[in-house]
Amino acid sequence: MKNSSLFSWALQITTAVVLSFAVYPKFAGAGESVALFTSIEMEPFGRYLIGALELLAVILLLIPSSVAYGALLTWGLMMGATMGHLTAIGFSGSNLSLGLLAITLLVLSSTILYIRRKELPLIGSMFDRSTEAKCGTPKS
Amino acid sequence: MIKSLHLDLHKLSNFVSLAIPFTAIAAFLCGVYISFYFHFISVALFFVFLVDLSYRKIQNRHTVLKNFGIMGQARYLIESIGPELRQYLFANDTEERPFNRQQRAEVYRKAKDIDSAASFGSMYNFNAEEIKVRHSMFPSSKAALKPFSVSVGEERGLNTAYTITRPIMISAMSYGALGSNAVRSLARGARLANIPMNTGEGGYPKYHLMEGSDLIFQLGTAKFGVRRDDGSLDDAKLQELAAKPEIKMLEIKLSQGAKPGKGGLLPKEKISEEIAELRGVSKDQDVISPPHHFECKDLSTTISFIKHVQDGSGLPTGIKLCVGSLDEFRALVGEMKKQDTFPDYISVDGSEGGTGAAPRAFLDRVGMPLLPALCGVNTILTEEGVRDRLKIFAAGKLIDPGSQMLAFALGADVIYSARGFMFALGCIQALQCGNNTCPVGITTHDPSLTKGLVIGEKALRVKNYVENIEHDLIELLAATGKHSLHELTLDNLYIPSQSSLGSMVREDPFTKPQANAVV
Repeated sequence: MKNSSLFSWALQITTAVVLSFAVYPKFAGAGESVALFTSIEMEPFGRYLIGALELLAVILLLIPSSVAYGALLTWGLMMGATMGHLTAIGFSGSNLSLGLLAITLLVLSSTILYIRRKELPLIGSMFDRSTEAKCGTPKS
Repeated sequence: MIKSLHLDLHKLSNFVSLAIPFTAIAAFLCGVYISFYFHFISVALFFVFLVDLSYRKIQNRHTVLKNFGIMGQARYLIESIGPELRQYLFANDTEERPFNRQQRAEVYRKAKDIDSAASFGSMYNFNAEEIKVRHSMFPSSKAALKPFSVSVGEERGLNTAYTITRPIMISAMSYGALGSNAVRSLARGARLANIPMNTGEGGYPKYHLMEGSDLIFQLGTAKFGVRRDDGSLDDAKLQELAAKPEIKMLEIKLSQGAKPGKGGLLPKEKISEEIAELRGVSKDQDVISPPHHFECKDLSTTISFIKHVQDGSGLPTGIKLCVGSLDEFRALVGEMKKQDTFPDYISVDGSEGGTGAAPRAFLDRVGMPLLPALCGVNTILTEEGVRDRLKIFAAGKLIDPGSQMLAFALGADVIYSARGFMFALGCIQALQCGNNTCPVGITTHDPSLTKGLVIGEKALRVKNYVENIEHDLIELLAATGKHSLHELTLDNLYIPSQSSLGSMVREDPFTKPQANAVV
């Protein structure tokens, strides 16, 4: 296995583990989580929706053929979370650690996306020199 | 087109590129002031914006993407599913190549043993150049037909002469080109149908031998399986192979219809432990198949090499070639007469033949098509007075009984088909034979794809295909009023002057249908 691939797997597993710690309180209805989602008026449906999407991202990150999709979904979710912290939730109290976590995961998923840029849907072939001769966009 | 109705895609794509960031900002503001749910849209649009920006500003490879941004991607997406859409929905039943849907469907029905009667009429264009079989007003009774029997090697009085009892055989497909399940299905089917199968040039036929069918061992230009390290013939290995009871005949491949005059290259990355062992090559270097046998430098050495293999193996030994020039072939026959050495059969491979992989220019542009080549070969052998010294096998898109009748009338003794049998195995003509991604598990070694090819089930299809082809050939033969497929001649064909054969028959059949003497 190449070094970049090993590095990517290390990042994927870290991301998946951290993300799964974020999933549990959302489904369990932990007070902190309920309070957060109440503050952005997404309680309770949005809490379950985000939790489910995060769970999906964890699964996709751990299946070899769908890593790029998992990273993309994580990137989107964390982008939203970061925006939430910047605009509505803020960084005071317990929200500080949550906000920093979101930003960390954003960086992690961006790194995975960069390493796996050739596997991305639609834009992957832009980075893949070996497919130059083929007509049309090769399906990864 | 009326100007006002014209859709300017370039303007539209520029508009879209501007609209994306503005909409993203709008969605973001809605997310802040109305509902957080709007951020689902703003995040997605932000991503689309980044992609569009990278297409237009960063990448330099694709002009369409640079000029049209993300809208240009639609072109690539739709283009990429074009082959599937055409095959599923838009291509006519008779217009696909190499085999149209109607031809494929006929093989599928024969292989599944379903009645292949069709209704209302033929789909072909009758005033075109297609060659037809002439029937007789007085068809022969089926009871009077002679059983099919071709004994290869009888001319030399070999005690190993091999008798072929059915009109079609499985043409050369090696393990390597095909996966192990496909090879074994064909081999088991060949045993059930009692027909021989050609091993292809893939070396020691490990998987072909597993099912106990009769085999024709093919000696390719690289002599896989029976080579020395320098690529020359290892007589001891050949004798060892020839001694196997399953191996009934040998075939020296001089050239192949799909890529005549060209050898192949097996890159060392593709040489697995197993391939290296079966083919008798080293794993550490690329293996080059030369375009011709080292031993065959000119006409005289070619014939000596045939004699060498015949004597060394003791088996009926033929040659396979795609005819490039009939003059060259006549010279070859002259040399055969001079040395009084004849191959026991000649497989005439038309340039329309199939392959796992060949350069498109060779597939499309090199070699004589089967019908004129076969007609020429048969005529030359007859004129030289040596037609009775050997048999002729014909190969090249002969997957249905109609086209096989043409080959018999042009002088073939037995028919070879490879792709016909691939269709019988369930080939859907996905055209991915060289990519290891065959969706029906025939030309792939990927276990997750070959698992769909169940040997027992597909072997029966092979048997059904052979039986139903033979059934149709018998009916066609009876219609011509002849009693054996080998009695058919050019006179049994209606050959329009525009067809590829038209120039080879002396008289214009439109004006003088009685006189179809050949050149």
